[in-house]
Amino acid sequence: MLHIVFGRLPEAVFNTAVYFKNSYEDSWITDDFAKRAILDVDKSVVLGNGVIDSPVLGKIAPNSLSGGVKTLILIKNEPERIFNASTCGDNCAKWLLEIGRLQDITINLRHIMDFGSEPFAIHIVNTDAVVHNMREMVLIAGRYV
Amino acid sequence: MKGIQRVIVSNKRVKYQFELCRNLTVIRGDSATGKTTLIEMIGEFYENGAASAVNIICAKECYVLSGRKWLSDLQTVRDSIVFIDEGNEFVFSNEFAAAIKDTDNYYVIVTREAIPALPYSVDEVYGIRESGKYGTLKQTYNEFYRFYAMPERGLPVKPECVITEDSNAGNQFFSAICDKNNIRCIGAGGKSNIFHQVSQVLGLIEGPIVVIADGAAFGAEMERLVNLARLWENIVLYLPESFEWLILHSGVVSDKEIAEVLSDTSNYVESSEYFSWERFFTALLIKKTDGSYLQYAKRRLNTSYCADKIAGQILQDIGWIEFG
Repeated sequence: MLHIVFGRLPEAVFNTAVYFKNSYEDSWITDDFAKRAILDVDKSVVLGNGVIDSPVLGKIAPNSLSGGVKTLILIKNEPERIFNASTCGDNCAKWLLEIGRLQDITINLRHIMDFGSEPFAIHIVNTDAVVHNMREMVLIAGRYV
Repeated sequence: MKGIQRVIVSNKRVKYQFELCRNLTVIRGDSATGKTTLIEMIGEFYENGAASAVNIICAKECYVLSGRKWLSDLQTVRDSIVFIDEGNEFVFSNEFAAAIKDTDNYYVIVTREAIPALPYSVDEVYGIRESGKYGTLKQTYNEFYRFYAMPERGLPVKPECVITEDSNAGNQFFSAICDKNNIRCIGAGGKSNIFHQVSQVLGLIEGPIVVIADGAAFGAEMERLVNLARLWENIVLYLPESFEWLILHSGVVSDKEIAEVLSDTSNYVESSEYFSWERFFTALLIKKTDGSYLQYAKRRLNTSYCADKIAGQILQDIGWIEFG
């Protein structure tokens, strides 16, 4: 399930780009989830050797992926750690929901991410409530961000 | 610094072109739109000049601020445009707000998180979008777009409840108008309380709830309020620059210079003197009404502004809100 802590959380990794740069493994980039997320969010293709083909920047290393995708990859591969997911734009929301369907993850949001108009189940840690749509989420999140 | 600053940043693959209208600009939006790439290119040009293969066209120097020594670094930067990427937690500190308050720089900050200590405008929060390709090099061209679009509403709006930002002159004016028309008016006691106030009355009021706040310094609150307004159709946001701007714009104070200032405000607001346009408009209104029957004070509204003729002229600008 996807668990969210809204507002400042000192124990969360705030600068996810730095953390990613110093911790990522090649296998994280070439797995199926990462390939699909990179294609969807960054419009880029992961080549066989882990190099990424970006339509704007050309051939790039994983460090040059967008901040949002790097954070998604961290959340997927280090589920025991809490990351600042406000480095992710709304175009990452569906991928956070997908990771949450596969495993238990807790993220820190310092803004109100738009999880779309379809129903969802997200546990808000601050109030220990499960919300199912943006109306329910906004009324709680707005108290903390 | 004052005036609109035009900035073009480019390399062989990507080009950004945008204008900065006031001292504080925030960039946010989807991932992979090029926010960090923009900041990196500016930093590379600053360090290496033309040898970076980055080109910047701008009347002011562009500087990237980051890291633990941000405060000492900032003290060496004058008359420049300062860019700060996300990942720099110092931007949320009161220390940062105090450090930039009286400087003659413009600041461009990448963050999705609100910065309550900074009085940035709802109009100066931007996203970046690709708007095409350039020439045979297939250079991607990026531009800024205003991030917050107001949800559309059927007009006119007849409020059942009005929520204003504070208890100052603006609240006193709208309270008086609402009292005359049996409309509930709530002073939120500060902009950061507006979300709470709206949430409180949401379940109690079915008719339109009109939120009136100073747009010139409301940027940090905008995300929460826009989300409410997107999800509840009876919430309507009216965010003029400030109440003082509304008075100046209405024409009740006859002065030739006012129209010129309002049409070209960027060129009149010196960033080292005014942290936000809200303060500038307050100072301007106080100056222009000094000694007259409309002498303005922010704390206590001069009752002349509530006289039918004057109030009617002020409200003309917002005719789409039917108080009567």
